[in-house]
Amino acid sequence: MVLGAFAANEATGTRNQELASAVFRPEAGKFPPIEKAHIYQGELAFVDHATRRGTLRVKGPGIFRSTEPNPFAMLPYGMVRYHGAPADLRDIPLGTMLHVTAFLPPDPKLSSVPVLPTDNKDRDANHRRGVGVFPAENHVLLLEDEPSFRLRTGSAWTLKEIELKADQGIVIARLDAKGSEQKLTVDHATRIWRGQERLSLADLIAEGTWSAGTKKSLNDQKVQLGLSWKPCPDGIFFRQHITDLWLDEAALRRAGQRQAETHKTFMRSRWLPGWVDAVEYGKFGRATITVTLFGGKDPSLYDDFRTGSQVFVNGAENTLKHTEAGSAGPSQMAVRGPIMGVSKIHGEALTGSSGIQVRFETDLVTEGIRPTRIVRLRPASWPDVHLPREEYVDGNSGNLEERFPTPATLPKY
Amino acid sequence: MAVVAFAANEAPGTKNKEPVAEIYRPVAGKFPELEKAHTYRGELVFVDHVNRRGSLRVLGVGVFRRNDPHPFAMLPYGMVRYHGAPADLRDIPLGTIMHVTAYLPPDPKLSSVPVLPVDSKDRDANHYRGIGVFPAENHVLLLEDEPSYRQRMGMSWKFKQADLQKAPGIVIATLEPKPGVDADAADQKLTIDHATRVWRGRELLSIADLVAEGKKSLDGQSLQLGLTWKPCPDGIFLRLHISDIWLDDAALQRAAQNQTETHKAFIRSRWMPAHVDKVEYGKFGRAKVTVTLFGGMDPELYADFKKDGQALINAAENTLKHAGGHYGPAHMASKGPIVNVDKLPGSAPMGSSGIQVTMETDLIIEGIRPGKVVRIRAAIWPPVDLPREEYLGDGEFRVEDRFPTPAIFPKY
Repeated sequence: MVLGAFAANEATGTRNQELASAVFRPEAGKFPPIEKAHIYQGELAFVDHATRRGTLRVKGPGIFRSTEPNPFAMLPYGMVRYHGAPADLRDIPLGTMLHVTAFLPPDPKLSSVPVLPTDNKDRDANHRRGVGVFPAENHVLLLEDEPSFRLRTGSAWTLKEIELKADQGIVIARLDAKGSEQKLTVDHATRIWRGQERLSLADLIAEGTWSAGTKKSLNDQKVQLGLSWKPCPDGIFFRQHITDLWLDEAALRRAGQRQAETHKTFMRSRWLPGWVDAVEYGKFGRATITVTLFGGKDPSLYDDFRTGSQVFVNGAENTLKHTEAGSAGPSQMAVRGPIMGVSKIHGEALTGSSGIQVRFETDLVTEGIRPTRIVRLRPASWPDVHLPREEYVDGNSGNLEERFPTPATLPKY
Repeated sequence: MAVVAFAANEAPGTKNKEPVAEIYRPVAGKFPELEKAHTYRGELVFVDHVNRRGSLRVLGVGVFRRNDPHPFAMLPYGMVRYHGAPADLRDIPLGTIMHVTAYLPPDPKLSSVPVLPVDSKDRDANHYRGIGVFPAENHVLLLEDEPSYRQRMGMSWKFKQADLQKAPGIVIATLEPKPGVDADAADQKLTIDHATRVWRGRELLSIADLVAEGKKSLDGQSLQLGLTWKPCPDGIFLRLHISDIWLDDAALQRAAQNQTETHKAFIRSRWMPAHVDKVEYGKFGRAKVTVTLFGGMDPELYADFKKDGQALINAAENTLKHAGGHYGPAHMASKGPIVNVDKLPGSAPMGSSGIQVTMETDLIIEGIRPGKVVRIRAAIWPPVDLPREEYLGDGEFRVEDRFPTPAIFPKY
């Protein structure tokens, strides 16, 4: 019944009949080639962090405010980056503008968000919303805030001019030296970071760096910006708002460090995700298992997987929710054993992969630990904590929605 | 159909048949009595900010991690406070521990969150969760983060034992009572780590920065703390985590100022919420409308409503969503001059600003009736149009838009 309901979300019609050669979908057990991804930007409008999904108001050529939030789901190996560091969806404030690298649903029948016609990104949404604001590519490999994206692509903002009025100011800026000029807003809630200081517009005015009431040249100052969106007056289709302005590298490095620490603690309690590459079966439930760890985490987390040490491995869902039997914590049903080897895959790892394979032995291989299946791993040196109720699937409950969340709860407009 | 579905959320059984005399529910058009509220604390787990609702993991006496997130809805005049300043639900990071002042649903049939047996707060939830973790009082008047609550109560934290060189680690802290109050400040164990933000004046530091400066401890210093929760090892039922430490008043004032500016810009674009006290009908659609502005906003926003200034008033729902907005909330709003601004005598009840605005309009509409919720904009505020999810559709009426059902909340 439930599976049928998922399929019903896929729009019918000839345009939706996929030509196998033209349509690319990620496959279980393989990291997708990034050049086949669709890339867009959007404002984070809703988050269901426990199920690793949410909605984004996608930026297009039309009236941004008229664009309904478009649901998205993180791929199991999908990565979130915030302030230039690894993050979880729960770390991203609502309203943040994000850069999205996404694919079609790997398996439309199991999609936790609506499945759209595969050519939807080329369709005009009408009502002056323009083309591309409801892309079918809603399964995300990489979700990055503005500074994370700029750091990765080696770009930065250049500030040309600012004009400050009573409540708000307009900044003229461009991306790098050659980009076209863009108007952005700032206000008295904009956080300005300089070294270890957090300043406001009022602070910069008080110290004479900026001045109120007049246009002031900013001398092509190179900065990084955090961006959001606020409703614009005067019928403007789209104008971004500066939430954060990093004046120097030290300030941004500090922001990245703090986020990295948040995420390290998070991973140590939720375990590192990966998938099963191979299971070599032995006798009486024994097996040697090879897992590829997912990418984008702090290197110190990968370093904790060492040959000879013990590891716990638990079955998980595509949402990365642990499977538990009751509420005794993920360790109870996890398989465990010694790490036989940790190897680095040859060449450059694909986005989504760490390029690190962990091989371990166990005397109790379970159903969730099969090739291509998602698992979570914990070196025994990490704390043994139990998770809050919404972050695991209770295998005893028999609730299909827990394993395969449907798009039913997402609002429709 | 949908209304029947709401009612079905109310658990049946004899305990659910309300003896009218004992049960207090807020009434439309009246601010509820604060002393009849139920107060508790919880971790913010989920937010549906456009419908002003979410879920909290409620603190009880049992195993905190086992408490299923408990849905709540803000009352129309319900206030959110963050860093000691007015806020919207969208401003509060997931995971923040909040102080809750709440009531039973004013009208169970229209509740956007599940309606529970009225004595639910006294029931044991079993499975080591204890009593009170699923209170039926899920309609919130006041939702405050730790520093907002402590400042309102005139309290602060003091570290008794905190070896910064052992971070991440355990801090032993006490809550210092109000001056003049002789209370036993019991020791509390909290955790601290390298992601903890330490605010000093205009600086944002880490524990490592303090250690590098030669600071070994913060013992004995009066502090404000931001609190969250992280899963605890060793079977500990509940231990809170310190996300933020404010070392001085200047740092706390700066945090509040930043949040105040965020909220001022927000309210200027979304309009000030209020409810209608009175409509004096004239001829040909003319009327004089008196509204009470809801409380808890920055005083600058109230000051923008001036006698003889112009105002726009639009019908809204209990979720504070504007009615009609494809062309912006101003399109369907009633407009006219402000004929009076009154400060009501005495201290205003919680939820109210104590300020009444009377305006005249030549187009009185259905949404502007006594007891109904409206949003009002001083004409000097910027005329902006709202994102799609923050208003009700024009001409494509869906009951769910006006009266969101609890269907969005997962069941465990």
